[in-house]
Amino acid sequence: MTDETDQVHRAYDDSPQRFRDKNAEDSFSGANGVLFEQAMSQTRMAVCLCDPSTEDSPIVFANRAFLELTGYSEEEVVGRNCRFLQGPGTDPEKISMIREALEAETVVVVEILNYRKDGSSFWNALHLGPIYDDAGKLLYFFGSQWNVSDVHAARAEEAYAKALSRELSHRMKNMFSVIGAIVNITGRAQGMQEEVRVINDRIQALGRAYEPTLDDASLGSIELGQAIRSVLAPYDPEGQRIRYQGTGLRVDPNVVSALGLTFHELATNAVKYGALSSDNGSVDVVWGMTDTAGEKAGGLEVVWTESGGPAVSYESANEGTGHDIMRRLMSLARGDVACDWKPEGLVVTVSAPASLEQTAP
Amino acid sequence: MTASEADTLTVLLLEDEALILWDLEEELRGAGLKTVAANSVDRALDLIERRVPDVAILDVNLGAGVTCEPVADRLAELGVPFLLHSGDLDRSGEVIRRFDVPLMPKPTPAYRLVEAIRALR
Repeated sequence: MTDETDQVHRAYDDSPQRFRDKNAEDSFSGANGVLFEQAMSQTRMAVCLCDPSTEDSPIVFANRAFLELTGYSEEEVVGRNCRFLQGPGTDPEKISMIREALEAETVVVVEILNYRKDGSSFWNALHLGPIYDDAGKLLYFFGSQWNVSDVHAARAEEAYAKALSRELSHRMKNMFSVIGAIVNITGRAQGMQEEVRVINDRIQALGRAYEPTLDDASLGSIELGQAIRSVLAPYDPEGQRIRYQGTGLRVDPNVVSALGLTFHELATNAVKYGALSSDNGSVDVVWGMTDTAGEKAGGLEVVWTESGGPAVSYESANEGTGHDIMRRLMSLARGDVACDWKPEGLVVTVSAPASLEQTAP
Repeated sequence: MTASEADTLTVLLLEDEALILWDLEEELRGAGLKTVAANSVDRALDLIERRVPDVAILDVNLGAGVTCEPVADRLAELGVPFLLHSGDLDRSGEVIRRFDVPLMPKPTPAYRLVEAIRALR
């Protein structure tokens, strides 16, 4: 906090006592008065009182914190309507909220851009409310001001970061669409439509694996479950056939490409030969940290279990290059793929270090 | 849909990215569909007035805050089925909610869009 915005009470503030001496009839005598005096001089909260019974409701009291916040002297403030704090950037809507509260004698809290004597601005969390005397007659309007410029700046920064990552995410998706288009156009021109389709599906799976990264890019890691879900989403458009279960485990971005492509291959095979090739088949995907001691300890493990599909044999499930790609990829990522072709469905256990750096030589 | 029906279908494509437009056009033509391509709202509306398409694929965000909304409105008036194609579900939310039509996220391979277009008819 800078000196300028520091609302800490530095020296004894005698303005409350002087105000009380002048307004003894307004219930500021006795214990109430001492309390008022002490509270107003000690609080770091800028406080002012306005007199609604006088033309244009002038300020009749302002404590030291008010003067320090606004940069005005007591003489410059007392006798004037509070609107001198407003300036070119002040939102007229906020001003009408204040006016309405004053007319209705209700309490209002607004964040309003105010200006100091030197022209600099600050965000003011203004609290306004009526003060009545014992007989219920409106005596003053109470206004407390709190400089919330820091809060405002932090909020603006957060909003900016969010907008930026949304823009980045949009551009990245668009970039993957354009890459896909180039691959397709080139493939067609070369008469390799089928090959190109396989290539493109892999590229797009990779794009989806990285999609969740951008939403919380600042964390520097990716939530594994989100990455798996977005890779697999196109293979389960209704969201009925693939079930997910796992913790909010976060992994290094560099593990994600290998895992993302592995699950793309598993899903592609399941659609062709496995559980997703029949109407009743389903897949369970469960992930978490390994409890195994030794080499794999502290790593992550994802288990892919197919069920309800056609009976599988080693031969049928081993077709295509999908499994070779998975093995190669996961071994390069210092992980492992273990396939168990059970008659009721394929079970694949994919393991990897949570971070490549942990095990890199 | 039979092959002969497919021959007669004309698909309006609205997409501001030329390469994606090109890819879609080729994919749809390869699937036996006729295409008319527009890269702006004005161009798309113009094409609709010349000849009402049978179906349409509309990119939601067309850059600089422009969306496909006017085209979607016109197609809805004419009773032409269409699907929305978007890479930014956050910002396209309002447009998407207004129309109860299939939504294809970007990136979706062109051949999947063709499948979705066939499902519309």
